[in-house]
Parts: sequence; structure tokens; C-alpha cells
Amino acid sequence: MRKLSRRDFLRTLAAGAGAVALSPVLVGCQADETPLTSKPTQSVAQVQPVEPTAAEALSEPTQTSPAASVAETDPPPAQVAAPAEPAQPGTGIPDLAVARGGEPEDLVRRALSALGGMERFVTKDAKVIIKPNICTDYHTYEYAATTNPWVVGALVKLALEAGAKTVQVMDSGFGGSPKSGYDRSGIKEQVEIAGGEMVVMPSFKFVRTLIPEGLDINEWDIYEDFLQADLVIDVPIAKDHGSTRLTLAMKNLMGVVLDRGGLHANLGQRIADLTSVIKPGLTVIDAVRILTANGPTGGNLDDVRKLDTVIASADIVAADSYATRLFDLKPDDIRYIVAGAAMGLGRKDLENLIISEV
Amino acid sequence: MTVKKHDYRKWTLLRKVVQGVALVGFLALFAAAPLKVWSPQVVNLPMRLDPLAMLAQAIASREFLAGSALALIVVALTFVFGRAWCGWLCPLGTVLDLFPLKKASRSTAKILPGLGPQGSWRRWKYLLLLLILSMALFGNLTLLIFDPLAILERSLTSSIWPALDRMVTTAESALVRVPFLEELVMQFDALVRPALLPERPIFTHNAALFAGFFAGVIALNLVAQRFWCRYLCPLGGLLGFLSKLALFRRQVSEDCKGCKLCFTACPTGTIDPEKGYASDPAECTLCLDCLEACPRSDITVNLKPVLEPWRPAYDPSRRQALLSLAAAATSVAIFRSDWLHLQPSPYQIRPPGAMEDELTSRCIRCGECLRACPTGVLQPSIAEAGMEGLWTPILITRLGYCDFACNACGQVCPTQAIPALPLEEKRLQVMGKAYIDENRCIAWADHTDCIVCEEMCPLPEKAIQLEEQQISLLNGTQRTIKLPQVLRERCIGCGICEYKCPVVGEAAIRVRVTLQ
Repeated sequence: MRKLSRRDFLRTLAAGAGAVALSPVLVGCQADETPLTSKPTQSVAQVQPVEPTAAEALSEPTQTSPAASVAETDPPPAQVAAPAEPAQPGTGIPDLAVARGGEPEDLVRRALSALGGMERFVTKDAKVIIKPNICTDYHTYEYAATTNPWVVGALVKLALEAGAKTVQVMDSGFGGSPKSGYDRSGIKEQVEIAGGEMVVMPSFKFVRTLIPEGLDINEWDIYEDFLQADLVIDVPIAKDHGSTRLTLAMKNLMGVVLDRGGLHANLGQRIADLTSVIKPGLTVIDAVRILTANGPTGGNLDDVRKLDTVIASADIVAADSYATRLFDLKPDDIRYIVAGAAMGLGRKDLENLIISEV
Repeated sequence: MTVKKHDYRKWTLLRKVVQGVALVGFLALFAAAPLKVWSPQVVNLPMRLDPLAMLAQAIASREFLAGSALALIVVALTFVFGRAWCGWLCPLGTVLDLFPLKKASRSTAKILPGLGPQGSWRRWKYLLLLLILSMALFGNLTLLIFDPLAILERSLTSSIWPALDRMVTTAESALVRVPFLEELVMQFDALVRPALLPERPIFTHNAALFAGFFAGVIALNLVAQRFWCRYLCPLGGLLGFLSKLALFRRQVSEDCKGCKLCFTACPTGTIDPEKGYASDPAECTLCLDCLEACPRSDITVNLKPVLEPWRPAYDPSRRQALLSLAAAATSVAIFRSDWLHLQPSPYQIRPPGAMEDELTSRCIRCGECLRACPTGVLQPSIAEAGMEGLWTPILITRLGYCDFACNACGQVCPTQAIPALPLEEKRLQVMGKAYIDENRCIAWADHTDCIVCEEMCPLPEKAIQLEEQQISLLNGTQRTIKLPQVLRERCIGCGICEYKCPVVGEAAIRVRVTLQ
């Protein structure tokens, strides 16, 4: 047999590697990152005894009888573990701050200073990730489908002023390419002016992550950096959404997973499960403009209302609960809020919260 | 006489540099297509330089597009330098030069006499050319799949680039887990991906077919160097015709001693030892390899303007021209007798604004639109659009979706087969309509809320609406379900609902062409 020269060996190897690399492309539909969604954890979820009751209970919150059982299992508010330092009655730090009227950046600054300042959340040299809602690249910010660029920019500035080492801003939307979404939303421009960095989330950095507190899903592919950051700031825009009725801060976390479509079965509980593992330290809801219909994509200015409001809280469930008022709804109308409160991720009892309006 | 070979080496070196620059330029325009950094009219420049595609397209659509005038540059070049396009500029020719699997040798010509300098195989490219042009008379452009630029562009788009992306992404996924490499991988990705690779994986339909076709064209080099250019390339045939009038030609001095070194060196095998080592200007690509090979270069080979016409190696007689016209008429008639394919196929979803009959008589099968499409929804048709629509763009809405914020395909199309519409107008174009398969839909069939399709619908007034309905389950309980329904009069068929449908395998909502 002829001795294989190094060159021949490398050539053969390269041809083999090429063939292997080409084969998933050829098979296409069976590949990992295919658009055809697989549901890796569904079987796990189905064998769970807890799940069917939870799903049943959450399936129709406006129907009183099944929803009541969930309300009964609500943990008492005192046991709620807030992700950041909880508000203390004596210190005068409110659970939630709402700023109304004024320019977006001013609204953010007022809300944050009412909460005790960004320093409460950002430690020195912290790595901060800000997660706005940049769901598509279809429209500019006036259409209220994406977070207000100046709200995001203000948070970048505040985080840097508070001593953060890096502030990265990212989202993985569903319509159009992330880069064009970053551009069209206007967020990229404001983030870069403020000194932050826009990052495109590459598909290979989503890692299978255990969700120990999850009631329906026990693992999911989540973007690694969100799990490792010192602080995650969740900055959704408050808007209409078909199945969950509203997309707010908890719902906004769907942008950090790879298999977005797979979450939609029993969406309310799965959003709460996802929240339990990402645990944003600070939630700032942009209601400068809200989208009241045809969400989450929008496109019709008639559906947009300008409220000039920003809601901020360390408690993501509380922030979402308060935001339901903007749409004349109640926290109990939104399944993921009910599920999140039931899991002890935060409080939905607005009447017992200390709310500072500034 | 003294030999000044280094002078000729300079010339062949210059040729290689020009070839390299042209190939890199082609690849750069290819890579840049989805980035929108250059104007679409720059990105599709190589296609508009192609006289074959532009001529056939003008014949088939009965309309001369101002942009195709660029091809006259190549025509003018050919009148001066013969087939220098093939030897110096054609990117596919350069790729073939990169695979010197076999140099011309006497043995091939001995085994297959048709392959020789005056061999009959060289006629194939003229026949193909005549067929293309004759079929264009009948409004058909199917055979433009053999255009060399189209072959290269399409092979890159439909097989090679996705494979490259797959390789890089796989390597990145593995290396990013190594702790000390993470930062490096991220930096590499941030550098390379925005410029060269898609942000989201793009999938291709029948990639193996396109890779195989391309591999076949290269593999023909095993039989003879630049086999494709010598015997098959229809653009080479067209330029060969024109080069009969070329000013600059290869000439052999009468002092030639017949060492056969030029014969061995010639990549197109057109140097004929039996004719005093002369060459056919319709075959000579002016690559100058023979000048470098000749040990007595100063006296045996030179270039100078000669105006008397060269004896034509292949003169398509009236008979052959008529034959190809008849063959074209027959093939087009056969294509059109396929009644089923003449009916609008439900799978024949065309890019926004494209009209079916205009598209087939204008599309030069170059694949620029496929490359520009950011989601990979545009795919070359194999069977979906019949023989007349072979390799024309269609939307496969399970592989991608037409981005509501994008109008790139029409902008980049060199022949306006897809009209260049402003974004506002493109958003109104109806490509198809979505249909819900109630037997597969999670809400309809499994009585579980899902609503992804409604959420995804990009229209300002959503074409998918959710209707709450009380459903009686078999166990006697009642459940309220949000059932998705399509408002057909609003739907534009962008396909994002089908693409994102979480049902495994075939989607439960699908876009199809409908007749109104």
C-alpha cells in the first residue's frame, strides 16, 4: 500500500470534514437549530404530576373556580424572596416607583432615584446586561413595538455612572435579523451614545440550563451570559399580546432562549419558570408609549398611546402587576403574573405594596 | 537568439493577478450581498457583465434593460482580445484553474479524438448557445442554468456558503466551551459573522444537488483541463463566435521547431501540432501560458493585430441553426404540454411583486435574490415550478419567511424578474395565503392555547385572529380555547406563521398560492 503523505492525509481529512459539515445542511430539517421546533422537555413535563393541575388552573384565570385554587396556594407575601435587596419599611425605599410626565431619560432617572438609586443594584465593576424588547426590525420606536431607545440609553448611563465595568445590551427577536432590529429600533444609536455595547447573540452560546424551581419545564436552552451577569436589567415595553394579553417584563425574557416557539404550550407557567432561573435584579417597564392592539408586532399608530410613564422595581412580578393597570386590567388577568406570584418570584398584591409615584 | 522568458513570466503573473482580483471581487460582492453596504446595482454587477444572460434575457422578455448595456464592455473586450474574458476574468474559469487535475496531453486526444484541438466535442458549447438563444425566442430561459456566472453564484449560495457557515458555527460551539477561548471565539465571531456569515442559520433545499452540479463541473477537469470552458460553456461559445473578429491573436512563427511544449501547456488544448502549432482564436483564452512555455519565445510566439479572419473551426451552418431552432421549439412545446405544470402550483410561491410569466422569461437563474434574502426563504425551484421554472426563486415558507422589513430580492435582481419595489409597496404584495390545518393545529386539534401564528403575523392589522370558543372535552369538562383563524383578505403570504409554527415537522399553518 502506498504510504499516505501528510498532504494527502490533510486533503482527505478536509474532504471528510467538508462532507460532514455539508451533511446537516443537506438533511436540513433534522439539524439542531432548525426552524422546525422540537420540544425536548415536553415529555418531562408530562410525567410531572403537578403540571396538569397547574395548567388546568392557569388555563382560564377569568373563570373563578379553577383560578381560586391557585390563589389559595399563593405563598404569603412575607415569604417572597425579592431578587435584589428587599425594600425595608423603615428606610423609606418603596417596592415600586412610577414616574409620570417628562422626557424618557428623566423618567428613568426619577424612577431609579425613588428606588434608592442605581447604586443599590450595580456593584463596582459589575457586568451588567440590559434586555430591551427588540422583537422585530419592522418599525421604528414610535410604533411602540420596541422599547424606547432613550429609556435604554438612560439605563446604560446610570449603570456606568454607578460603576459598572461593562454594560451590554442584547435581544434576540423573531422578525428580521437582530442587527437590523438594533438599527431600526434606534436602540443601538442611543446605547452607543451612552457608552454601552450592543451585542448580537450567536446561536452557539445558548446552553442547556436546568430550571430547578420550574413547575412545567425543567431545562431549556438559555443564553449563557444572562446566567453569569452580575445584574440583568429587564426593560420591556408594555404592549398588547394575543395569548398572554400583555407582554411585559416576564414575557420579555423569552428573548433569551433559543426555542421560543416551544414555550408556547402552557406559556404562562413556562414564562414564570424561565423567570425563576434568569431573575432580573431590576425591572424597568417602558410605558412612554404603549401598544394597545395588534401586538406584539404593531405597525399601526392608531393602536399607540403615549403615556410618558416608566415603572421600576426590583420585583419583576410587582412591576408587571402594576403595568396591567395601564391597560385597565388586573394582575390576575395575566397568567404569567399569577404563576410567578404562586412560585414566590414576586408580589402581585398591589394594595399591600409601597408605591412611590414621582 | 537569447531567451527572455522572464518577460513572459511577468505577463502570466499579471494574468494570474488579474484572475485573482476578479475572483476575489466576485466573492466580495457575493459576501456583501446581504449586508446592504453596497448598492444592489453594484452587487449584481457581475451578472450584468454577462453578455449571454443579458442577450438571452432581452430576447425572451422582448425588452432591453438599460442595466444590461454593461455586457457590451465584455463584447467590446472580445472584439479586441478574443476570449480573454475566459482566461483573465471569468471567476468560474479561475476556479477551474485552481483545480489543475489534468494537463492537456496527447493521450486524452488519442483516446477520445473528439477532445482534440479540432475535435467535434467543441461544438457542444455552440449547440448549447444556439439552443439557449432559440429557446429564448420562445420566451424560455431554462438552459441559462448553464451560464458560468450563474453556476458559480448559485453553487456558492445554495451549498458552499451554508456548509461553510455550518463548519464555522460547529467549531465555534465547541471552542466557546473552552474557558480561556471563550473571549477569543466571541471576538472572532463578532468580526467574521457580520461580514461573511448569516446571523441566524440559513437552510437550503436540495443543497446536495447544487453542490453535486458544481463538483461535476470541476470534476470534468479530470478528463481535460478546463473541460467546461472548452466543450460546454455557452458563454464561451458566444465569446468564441465574436472572437473571430478579434484584433489580437496568438501567432506562431514559421521558425517553430515543434517541441510541443506549448501544446502540453495550453489549458484549453487548442494548439494543434498538425497545423503548425497554430490555435483557434475561438478557443484561445489568451492566457499566455504558451508564451511562457516556449523555450524560444522571442521568435516563435507573439501577438499582433491581424485583421484577416481566422479559418473558423466551427461555423454553424444554416442546417444546424435550423436544427437547433427546431429542437428549441420542440423542447418548449414539450415543456408547455405538461398541463399540470402550466396550472399554478400551490407551492409556486413567488417573491414579492413577481408576476409568473414575466419571471420565467426574465429570470437568468443567477441566484442573486437567494443570496440577498436574509432569512433563506427564497430557494431555487427544482420541481415546484416545472421545467420552464427550473431554478427560478420560490418561497419555501417552512425554511424561512419574507421579512416584513426587507425588499432586498427585488433590489438586487439584475433583470427585474423580481420588481424593485419600495418597502411600503412591497409590504402590500400578496405572495400567497395562509391556511390552518385544523387536524394538526395545537389549538384546534389538541385544545391547548398556542397562538404563535397570531403573535408572529407582521401586519399592522393582523391577518390571524384568535377567536375564543368553549370546547367540550371528552371527559365532560369545558375549556375556553383561543382558536386561530386566517382573515384571507388581509394575508399577504409572508409565511412567518408557517416558519414559526411550533408543531414538529410539517407546520399546522401553511402558505399556498391561491387563485382569486
